[in-house]
Amino acid sequence: MDYGNKVAQILENIEKVMIGKKHEVTLSLVALLADGHVLLEDVPGVGKTMMVRALSKSLNCDFKRIQFTPDLLPSDVTGVSIYNPKEMVFEFRSGPIFGDIVLADEINRTSPKTQSALLEAMEEMNVTVDGITKSLHNPFFVMATQNPVDYEGTYPLPEAQLDRFLMKLSMGYPNEVDELEMLNRTDREHPIDEIEAVINKEQLLKMQKEVESLYVDDTVKRYIVQLVSQTRKSPYVQLGVSPRGSIALMKAAKAYAYIEKRDYVIPDDIVYLAPYVLSHRVILRPEARYEGVTQSSLITQILEEIDVPVRKELHG
Amino acid sequence: MKKSISLESVSSFILLLAGFMLFWEWLRPLEEITDTGNVYLFVIYTAICFVTSFFTRNLWAKFVVKFFSLLFILDYLFINATLLSPEWIQTLTLELRFNLEAVLENDWGLMTAFARSMLFLLLLWLMSYLLHYWFMIANKFFLFVVLTFIYLTVLDTYTIYDAQLAMVRTFVVSFLVLGLSRYVKLMDNVERDNHKKHVWSWMTPIIVIVLFATVLGIYSPKLNPQWPDPVPFIQSTAGHVGFSNGPVQKVGYGEDDSQLGGSFVQDDSPVFEAIAHDDIYWRIESKDLYTGKGWERSTELDFQESNNGDIEWSTFLRQQIETTSYSATVRPVTQNQLSKIVYPYGIHHIMSSEQDPFFTDSTYGLIESESAEQIQNLSYSIDYEAPSFSINELRSNSEDDPVEIKEQYLQLPDSLPDRVQELATEVTTGEDNRYDKAQAIEGFFSANGYVYQIEDVSVPEEGEDYVDQFLFETRIGYCDNFSTSMVVMLRSLDIPARWVKGFTGGTEAVDQPSLPDDYSLYEVTNNNAHSWVEVYFPESGWVPFEPTSGFTNPTDFYQETSSDINTEDYMIDDEETEEESGEELSEEEQESEALNPAEDDSAVGGANNENGGNGGIYYWIGALTLIFVILAIIIYLKRYELRDWYMLKKWHRLIEKLEIEVAYVYLLEILEKRGVHRSKGQTLRRYAIEVDQRLGTSEMYDITLAYEEYLYRNQTSSLKDNKRLQSLFQRMIDQIFA
Repeated sequence: MDYGNKVAQILENIEKVMIGKKHEVTLSLVALLADGHVLLEDVPGVGKTMMVRALSKSLNCDFKRIQFTPDLLPSDVTGVSIYNPKEMVFEFRSGPIFGDIVLADEINRTSPKTQSALLEAMEEMNVTVDGITKSLHNPFFVMATQNPVDYEGTYPLPEAQLDRFLMKLSMGYPNEVDELEMLNRTDREHPIDEIEAVINKEQLLKMQKEVESLYVDDTVKRYIVQLVSQTRKSPYVQLGVSPRGSIALMKAAKAYAYIEKRDYVIPDDIVYLAPYVLSHRVILRPEARYEGVTQSSLITQILEEIDVPVRKELHG
Repeated sequence: MKKSISLESVSSFILLLAGFMLFWEWLRPLEEITDTGNVYLFVIYTAICFVTSFFTRNLWAKFVVKFFSLLFILDYLFINATLLSPEWIQTLTLELRFNLEAVLENDWGLMTAFARSMLFLLLLWLMSYLLHYWFMIANKFFLFVVLTFIYLTVLDTYTIYDAQLAMVRTFVVSFLVLGLSRYVKLMDNVERDNHKKHVWSWMTPIIVIVLFATVLGIYSPKLNPQWPDPVPFIQSTAGHVGFSNGPVQKVGYGEDDSQLGGSFVQDDSPVFEAIAHDDIYWRIESKDLYTGKGWERSTELDFQESNNGDIEWSTFLRQQIETTSYSATVRPVTQNQLSKIVYPYGIHHIMSSEQDPFFTDSTYGLIESESAEQIQNLSYSIDYEAPSFSINELRSNSEDDPVEIKEQYLQLPDSLPDRVQELATEVTTGEDNRYDKAQAIEGFFSANGYVYQIEDVSVPEEGEDYVDQFLFETRIGYCDNFSTSMVVMLRSLDIPARWVKGFTGGTEAVDQPSLPDDYSLYEVTNNNAHSWVEVYFPESGWVPFEPTSGFTNPTDFYQETSSDINTEDYMIDDEETEEESGEELSEEEQESEALNPAEDDSAVGGANNENGGNGGIYYWIGALTLIFVILAIIIYLKRYELRDWYMLKKWHRLIEKLEIEVAYVYLLEILEKRGVHRSKGQTLRRYAIEVDQRLGTSEMYDITLAYEEYLYRNQTSSLKDNKRLQSLFQRMIDQIFA
């Protein structure tokens, strides 16, 4: 665990910018370390962009931003081949997706065609343009944002597509104390300019490798499976969490354990992450809404119902 | 309050005083509602116990003081000899032995006042110990206060005791003391120096409030009882489910027969032993005046001293009746001595072992002796001529009764309902002579489903006739019902008859002394108390009849013409009766169809041993149940201690094996039982934090981290870690049970 302290440093760095948002910052880092992507659902101005920028600065990564608009085309995301009359060949001009950390802002504003271009790239880790397949960067981390208030003229992401994000977060407003602190800090100079890189890309990749190698005991895996299968049994659920969700939860848990400087996963990690990793993966029945059940309240309830493993054997 | 005396000792003295005063309230009613005398001595003894407990903690000192004051009180009350002198000790030993024997034989009724007082003093001793523990050590006052209130309420409701003042006293004392004990408890958390600071600012309001509430309570108008008095209700309910309306009495011979009826309980304590040739009936007296409720005498008793023990009178006419000479010896059992002398039919001579004179009343057939009630080991020898009545002769008896007999033995109350006479006429239809009529009535009861039973027998209500009730309504009763009914029915037919009391023949004793061939030793108990009927025949005298279902008339009747079949009949019966209880039943079946199980327990039979055995079994079942109930209560009250003890035991076994999983899971179990609940979804780490917060420990978190490593990382700790872990576990357990 060479990088344990680095993680703490990164967090500290970002927190300079994102005051009182430790959870969200940690969770974003979890997603990054678990090689997953994040969907941020929040109103404008709460610091979504700032967080991603701080993150990429700390990691010394290439930061790209795509502002999704209704007229954005898939090629505006992936890139386009342009004829070079001098050399008489089509040259590929890579789009903004070729970045280490990509902020896909207001993803629901663009047409499904463009959305799926991004989502496909996220899944495949490469882009095929004019028959030529190009690998995306590694590390590759997408933070997509959605504006939950301004629904006019939007194309909400299909629920099945949400599955591709490791977790879904929302930032929320800072409390008064934090906001005051924020004003103080940004009084003269924005703190984002003070942030310095803690690690580089290679180190980040190594960290990702380390995360992958963390130990998850069968008891914990069983716990994950129990949780996930419980989402499929719930009477409020139309479509439960897919096996991809189980894998995502385990990966995220490993990353969180890594941040917590542990080389094994404990149920606390699962309990902490499950609402963020699982809730956007369930599709509720319409009647659930009438009974006031939301996706995250459902997951919380399931967490309370399932026994945390306290013994090696199943009967614990 | 002097400075030198600490608050604790003052308050504990007050608490003790209050405890004593409350306990006094428990003793006060005894004088009124029980026949306990000298209650002040018990109160003094309680006071001694309380004071001793207060001043010394030395077990021996306490024991000595309490023990000797107990002896002193017993000596003062019961023993005339000088304290601790040899006679004194002898008396004491005798008393103890006698009572111990009585207890071992379940003869609780035989226990003397000495033993009862001693047991009560011991109870007081125990109570004082318990109360001292409650008040002084456990500082628990409330339970006893509540119990006292309940006790007083119950006494006030159900007995004649008027608990009004007692309630007021209890109220004042208990609330003052509850306030004080609360203060003492609060002061436990305060530094010693500040203990006395707020005594008066605490106690003054309490005193004011309690006194105010008391005065208000006394003088404020009160509602009348909102419920009807529960006592009649309970009695009537109980009556419906089959208890008797009347008081339950003990079986036995009683003097007063003016109010017959009511249930009896079995009492097999012996009354006298008799050596006789057969289980003959033992007569004591007859009564002649039927009042509608019971029997009285119409004339005063007129005792004449008997000449050398010769009995001049006879119930039957000696000259007319064939008799057989026998002799018998009667030895009354000391504790249940009768003032009257029992005698068989045909007695003509009686001699007591003390040679003292006898007094007899010829009208009612009473024999008394002055020594009867005082002298132990008294016995009488009796010579008698047992009559054998010829049935033919009885049948041919005239109906010319002398006027005196008619006057005395045909009396019936005016209130007697006519249907009694109608029934008697109906029963005797077709019988033309007195003997057959009497026999018809004698056999009427058992042939018509009248049931012999000593329990659930009712007492006639106001305006109801005892005989009428039995004949037409209840049809359940014992000898008094049967015999009285027969007498009244006969009298309604103008046949002179009287009611006779005495004892049946009893049971042959198990240990027979060596006696002449025909004779046996009979034991007669209170269960054998009996009553039957004598019918007057002008040429024969009074002839006994036995109407009670299940009983056999032991008197000999014979019929010359049919070669003594009846005589034989009775002789066979007699032999069988001498044998043990098994045959008794069959004999009784011959005699009566309406046989009832209760009969076996009744006067006639040899079933007494078996009966005692049954009682014994019930007694043991009762005792065992009681023990179980007490054990269950103790276990229930001590359940947490027991559980902790068990858990610790198990813990020590587990921790030796060093299996972290078993140990940890068990630790979870212990914590759960100690009230730190873990919800299903709560992770171990969060639970550990909660536990540490609630118990003020830190070990649980460390233990949990180690356990997590074991459980989720699949790594077994090294030996060194194990040692650390073990000590962590041990510290945790210690703190949980601390």
